[in-house]
Amino acid sequence: MLSIKNLHASVEGKEILKGINLEIKAGEVHAIMGPNGSGKSTLSQVLAGNEAFEVTEGEVTLNGENLLDLETEERAREGIFLAFQYPVEIPGVSNLQFLRTAVNAMRKHRGEEEMNAAEFMKLAKEVSKQVDLDPSFLKRGVNEGFSGGEKKRNEIMQALLLQPKLAILDETDSGLDIDALKVVSDGVNALRSEDRAILMVTHYQRLLNHIVPDYVHVLAGGKIIKSGGRELALELEEKGYGWLGIKDEETADSAAN
Amino acid sequence: MKPAPTLSAAFLESAGQSLPEALLELRKQRGTALVDMPLPTRKTENWKYSSKYLKLTDDMASSLPSQGKALTGQDVPGYRIVFLNGVIQPEASELPQVDGVRVASFRDLDDQEAAELADQLDNTLDDKAVQLARLNAARFEDGLLVRLQPDAVLDQPLFVIHEVTADASGSAFPRIFVDAGRHSQATLVEEYRSSGAEPVMVNTVTEFKLADGANITNVRLTMEGENVQHIGATGVRQQRNARFESHTVGFGGPLRRHDLQVRLEGEGGECKLNGVVVTQGKQHYDNHTTIEHVAAHCNSEETYRNIAADQSHAVFNGRIHIHQDAQKSNADMNNKNLLLSNGAEIDTKPELEIYADDVKCAHGATIGQLDEISLFYLVSRGIARREANVLLTMAFINELVEQIPLETVRETAHTRLNQFFDQTFQEV
Repeated sequence: MLSIKNLHASVEGKEILKGINLEIKAGEVHAIMGPNGSGKSTLSQVLAGNEAFEVTEGEVTLNGENLLDLETEERAREGIFLAFQYPVEIPGVSNLQFLRTAVNAMRKHRGEEEMNAAEFMKLAKEVSKQVDLDPSFLKRGVNEGFSGGEKKRNEIMQALLLQPKLAILDETDSGLDIDALKVVSDGVNALRSEDRAILMVTHYQRLLNHIVPDYVHVLAGGKIIKSGGRELALELEEKGYGWLGIKDEETADSAAN
Repeated sequence: MKPAPTLSAAFLESAGQSLPEALLELRKQRGTALVDMPLPTRKTENWKYSSKYLKLTDDMASSLPSQGKALTGQDVPGYRIVFLNGVIQPEASELPQVDGVRVASFRDLDDQEAAELADQLDNTLDDKAVQLARLNAARFEDGLLVRLQPDAVLDQPLFVIHEVTADASGSAFPRIFVDAGRHSQATLVEEYRSSGAEPVMVNTVTEFKLADGANITNVRLTMEGENVQHIGATGVRQQRNARFESHTVGFGGPLRRHDLQVRLEGEGGECKLNGVVVTQGKQHYDNHTTIEHVAAHCNSEETYRNIAADQSHAVFNGRIHIHQDAQKSNADMNNKNLLLSNGAEIDTKPELEIYADDVKCAHGATIGQLDEISLFYLVSRGIARREANVLLTMAFINELVEQIPLETVRETAHTRLNQFFDQTFQEV
């Protein structure tokens, strides 16, 4: 489904991704782990089409189609979904209006009829229950005044509504307490299907206890330096990134705590 | 040093005489005071950013014809007063018949009522600050008088349509005077429209006197064409516990100037001033507001938002003056500005002058662009770029548009805003 070949990307002239190779097939769940500054978030942003990042080399295809030629909104319509590490607050645009506009943009792209306000409200209420968000959140500004956990649940709700082909979850576990982590993981697991792939980007492996990946990759210094199965994450948990010869202050800190 | 340009004598040669004697006399006095009045220049502080847009040619000195287009404004529901080029059109208007509410054309007043009005008229505005609006007092040819007896309630809003027909160059000088008795209530909507393409000026003054406990809402929609210079002033004086609410929605033009001056003269007075201004092309819009906290225990709340696209220019100047005796004043002023292009300009200046020591005052002004990260977030959900721009721009003003108390006005504003979006944000 997704094929990344020798991907290089830089931001403000500084190269962050230095030749990423990755193949993801439909139905698979991949986890990318790595210390801070390794390029995990850059990879997510580049795949979603953030223009702040410049692709300098390499190619990315989604089902054979050149992804890098597409605008952000076109990638979304082709099935790329990025759950943001820091979901954006947009006061003045109601969550409901935002979600309906997004869903209808997708439907229009697929040649389906747009949903009216009443139909959409019904759907949105069902999905909000699935991620344990009170429907009152639909009426508030997009992410406005939401707690960290509520924002992450709102991201997963969007994924459930938009039904992407490839869902990229950028540090979706960060800032979540154990209950919220469970809700978010249940949401992600509900997304798992044979024709959908999931790419999880995470610093810690605790998310992987809830969403079990098929493959784990370690990203460091802008390259994937090791790939393996689920057991690789456990090994990292036990030994830290130092085991692979990577310096990671945060991991060292958390181990010390 | 070159002498400052003065108002051409042609502007002071009043035309129509169809007013009661007392008002003609008032007009004459005011005209005399304007002889040799210097026109604002770049050095005139309150016209610093706007004087370059002012282009009063001698052709514009004559009054526009007050007859012609017979039935304009029929699309407006309920009570309706239609001004055509500054003169009320009785056959196009729909006057309220409500106990305790007197709504009349200045032309229809008897001598006694006219004399009474002449005594009250033209003392809500600070002459020095509204030089050009003073021209209205020397030139008005008609006016709308609204008198609310104590406790009278106007059950529906009164729409005042100001239409100018710019088939030839000239000016219109509509005037409104609202005298709201104790605990009376009314909503007055002013909508400014135009047709025709010749350069014209609309010079308009609206005055409100609110007795104790009166409650007045004023909506102002400025939507004239690209050939209309609009110079308007609104003066408000509020007595004890009176409440005044103003909602301005303005679209730019070659010159748009509105001075809004509110005096809180009795304890417990309250005013709320909201404004949304949108400019595009080479348009201009300048809002100057002044809130005078004269008495103690008054509240004022002011929120203005400007959106400037292309090479347009918006100005906001908000002054709050808290007098020495105005203890326990509560004043909150907020002005946010959105630049939609690199060529657009916005100048904002909040001014606080405080002479009392026990007051609460807050003010804030910001100028920014649409947030790139918010934009990315929206398009990353498949939303078209144009749509995302519209959502974010609407988000900037939605709160104020939603506060406009009338559905039909909100609809008019939305229709005009959609045109603006169509012209500003291209389909990709």
